[in-house]
Amino acid sequence: MQSASLPPSTPPSGARRASGRRTWMRRLYVPLMLAPVVLTITTLFVGALVVALLQSFGYAPLYGINEFPTFKYYGSLFSQAGFWASVGLTFYYAIVPTIVGTILSIYLALALRRRFRGKGFVQFVYKLPLMIPYLVGVAVTIVLFGNGGIIARSLYAIGLIETTRDFPRLIYSHAGWGVMFVYVWKQVPFTTLIVYSVLMGLGRESEEAAATLGANKWQTFWHVTLPQIMPGIVSATIIVFAFNFGSFEIPFILGGGFPNTLPVEAWRAFEDADYSRRLRAMAIVMVIGLMSGAVLFVYLWTYRRFERLRGRQ
Amino acid sequence: MRPAADATVATGAQRRRRRGLGSDRLGPFGRFYVTIMTGAVLIPFLPLIVGSFAFRWTWPDLLPSTWWWEARGTARLPQGWDYIFSPVSRVVESTGNTLLIAIIVTLLCTLISLPAARVIARERFRGKSFIEFFLLTPLIIPEIAVGLGILVTFIQLGLAGTYLGIVLVHLIPTIPYMVRVLTSVFQGLSSDYEEQARVLGAGPLKTLVHVTVPMILPGIIAGGLFAFLISSNIFLLTFFIGRGQIETLPTLLFSRVSGGGALDAVAAGVALIVCVPGIVLLIITERFIKEEVFAKGFGG
Amino acid sequence: MLTSILRRIAPLALLIAFVTGAALAQPTGTPEAEAFREAFLAGELAWDDVLERAAEEGEVVWAHWGGSENLNTWIDTVVAPSMAEYGVTLRTSRVTNTRDVVDLILAETAAGRGVGEGSVDAIWINGENFFTLSSQGLNFGSFADLVPNAEYIHFDPDNPASGPNLFDFGYPTNKEEIPWSGDQYMCAIDTARLSREDAPSDFAELEAWLRENPGRFTYVRPPQYNGNTFVQSVLYAHNPDGTSFAPFQLSADALGAEEFLHLARPGYEYLQRIEPFLLGGGGADGQRGSPIYPEDQNGLEALFINGEIDMACQFGMYNTAVSVETGSFPETAENVIFPSDGMIKNKNFIGVPINAPNPAAAMVLANLLASPENQISKLGAIGYVLGIDADLLDAETQAQIDEVAPSLMGITYDELGAATVPDTNASLVNVIEGTWIEFIERRTGTLEESIEAAYQGR
Repeated sequence: MQSASLPPSTPPSGARRASGRRTWMRRLYVPLMLAPVVLTITTLFVGALVVALLQSFGYAPLYGINEFPTFKYYGSLFSQAGFWASVGLTFYYAIVPTIVGTILSIYLALALRRRFRGKGFVQFVYKLPLMIPYLVGVAVTIVLFGNGGIIARSLYAIGLIETTRDFPRLIYSHAGWGVMFVYVWKQVPFTTLIVYSVLMGLGRESEEAAATLGANKWQTFWHVTLPQIMPGIVSATIIVFAFNFGSFEIPFILGGGFPNTLPVEAWRAFEDADYSRRLRAMAIVMVIGLMSGAVLFVYLWTYRRFERLRGRQ
Repeated sequence: MRPAADATVATGAQRRRRRGLGSDRLGPFGRFYVTIMTGAVLIPFLPLIVGSFAFRWTWPDLLPSTWWWEARGTARLPQGWDYIFSPVSRVVESTGNTLLIAIIVTLLCTLISLPAARVIARERFRGKSFIEFFLLTPLIIPEIAVGLGILVTFIQLGLAGTYLGIVLVHLIPTIPYMVRVLTSVFQGLSSDYEEQARVLGAGPLKTLVHVTVPMILPGIIAGGLFAFLISSNIFLLTFFIGRGQIETLPTLLFSRVSGGGALDAVAAGVALIVCVPGIVLLIITERFIKEEVFAKGFGG
Repeated sequence: MLTSILRRIAPLALLIAFVTGAALAQPTGTPEAEAFREAFLAGELAWDDVLERAAEEGEVVWAHWGGSENLNTWIDTVVAPSMAEYGVTLRTSRVTNTRDVVDLILAETAAGRGVGEGSVDAIWINGENFFTLSSQGLNFGSFADLVPNAEYIHFDPDNPASGPNLFDFGYPTNKEEIPWSGDQYMCAIDTARLSREDAPSDFAELEAWLRENPGRFTYVRPPQYNGNTFVQSVLYAHNPDGTSFAPFQLSADALGAEEFLHLARPGYEYLQRIEPFLLGGGGADGQRGSPIYPEDQNGLEALFINGEIDMACQFGMYNTAVSVETGSFPETAENVIFPSDGMIKNKNFIGVPINAPNPAAAMVLANLLASPENQISKLGAIGYVLGIDADLLDAETQAQIDEVAPSLMGITYDELGAATVPDTNASLVNVIEGTWIEFIERRTGTLEESIEAAYQGR
């Protein structure tokens, strides 16, 4: 009876004997195996967040400031219009490239399923931006899209523009085209990789079935393929959005100055000559984490509900 | 020449419909799209390569007005690649730091993640989904939150500006990926082999060494490569914790690009060098690892 | 369940305990390093003893701004081998911002690392950074006139020539830092895009030129020192009492927020007026747009090289010449006198913090950097102005200086000398930067409020 009800993946039968020492060791087995990971993440990651949290509420004896608990750092943030402009900008830089990148990736992944000349080369090359740091993308964007960059110089050479001012401002502006280009450039390989492997794992039977039933390509994609790759897309977009929301170096270099995205504002507050500004930096950082987490939570929850609804259908 | 309206030969459209899905070949728009995407990856590197060999490349020149080799004798200080490969630029030192840190981080990360991945894959226990979510949070909370929070503590502990500090901080983003990859490796692995080994009399250590490890080794290597990749590309955490005392390739590149740099020859050259570990990794993974392994942790 | 919670909290509790314990520790310092410091500052040690001890220490850590390849190359190829001759390995820490080094020293001393236990031996420093260290008593001591090469520097307070050596941004150096270099704030133009005749020579002409040609100019963003110096120049030129730099030599407390508001108002309003006409600004419609203020002089030079701005202002008398020669600047770049009524000139120094781990080696390094050979090598190789006083050198050496000095690219020493003005008081630096950030960048409120906030936060 006992053996029939146990799940197939439990450890060998010797441990099921009611020996005292064995059960004690068995009870410790899972926690012990998890301990290294949990300890590391807790001390380093959670510890860092706790320190930031405490400081954001005014507890910073290291700087000679102890006003714990106080909401004044958050208060001064929320009351400034510049802060909300930063929030909007951060969301804008996070959402748009995620959506654009995902659409581009889906199409690329679908294309990679077919045969075409040079497919091996493309399969090798498209992963390249994934392997290099974001800063290389930044360097490349400056050289290409700067007002004095290569594209501008080419237009000057053929007489389309006369001075650097005539070239549209793509970097160092709040419209953020340069920033978003870097994100899309780096993230399309990532999302494509995930979607492509999911597609590979799925096989084409359902699609072929749909085709024989008379569905055209668009209907096949929308009603058959897309739901199948949805879990992969959701995972990828979560990671991509989270990164874009919290990224520092790209908007710092390519962004448009005040109002900056939240991570850049946090860094500026931290680097201020005034030490109490550092506590404001901690408040900003907490806000970043909370907003990012909240958005992703809602996203995931909506997706799960959607899945359940579809399941019922 | 195609026979016109021959009833015995099926037209292309009829053949496609018969096969049930549509041509397996990519259509012209698809080919165009793939070409554009491939171009978008490769073309941006061209100005970098040209720039790294430039001596003077100011507006509005499309090509450098003076090339690097033309000015080598006359310039008062080493320029371009001479400077990059001289000890002054600290490029060699940074590369060494990057690789060293990445290797240590990969080893540590593997050791820490293996046991956790094994129980997550095999066992059911209370709080399992919480642990899975907990291990995802470092990917959701941005690096700047961790960097600022941990910096002051590390300064106090004397860990700021040390290799140990940087290694510790690199573990944060690498562990989640490693655990997920290893978990899927273990999930794909039946425990029957281990049970058989034990039935045949092998002790737990022998089973581990001769049965388990060889079977999961490819997965570990894949996860390790991924962790190595992440660690060698990390900028923000290294920038904060390194405090300018330990330079890795990303922080070196930042110091050259962050001014909104003109991409002088040295900056372009450093940007190219920074790509080398990534390209090497790409070649290795292309030859040995299937793409599915990478995506296992994230896909459906 | 409880054990798993406890297991999670324990490491964090330990961490917090450790951190608090470390914070409460009092600075001590090794007695042996203390003894050296006392003996040296009292003048009891012969220079040979210092050299001997330096060789024992074996290394010296020099923290300096690392944004110039040329400087880095010169240090590694000239200074390092010279130090090696004394048996000392030179290790440089290239920082993006000297303030980070000051913060590090503050953090170290707060954590209890006293004399001989720090991590930085020498700092390339001046202005408000030196002021911060000095006001907290974190300098090694008055060592500048105790090294042999001090004979090339005027330190006699009765001699007016000693002013720049004894006062750094109006704050007394107490000889706790030794002059290393100096410079004058000036502007470069690309004559291919902007001819010398059209280039503005003062701020009124600049505003007129900007209104006609919007988007051709910008300045470095304060608090970087190049940006701050531009703002200082604006304040001097727009001083409503006509006294230029004089009232700004007072300390922030002596001046007071109200007086500062009165003196600085026209200047800040000028900066706000020209903002739409800067690079990225809204232009003629007067919309603010997104004005682009580069983070440092490298960013400014990048805009200049890429043809986005026609005039770039920074510290660097010989910078244009060296940049043209090393391929950065276009060959048509030249210097101009701007603003004609006040180009700020200052000196920068080598400072030694109180907890330098290798104090003797730091003294040897400071002495080496003040030697005429080294100073002339620096001038010739990378165009950094002399920090020692040339009139104390013999005629032959002075001739050498004239030989190796790079070109002034279109202006003369007399013109430069006629326009010289000093920096503001060190304590005003944070006020000026803070006001700029609040009033010009963030537009949080009126000028009064911005100045109040800056006074609070300095």
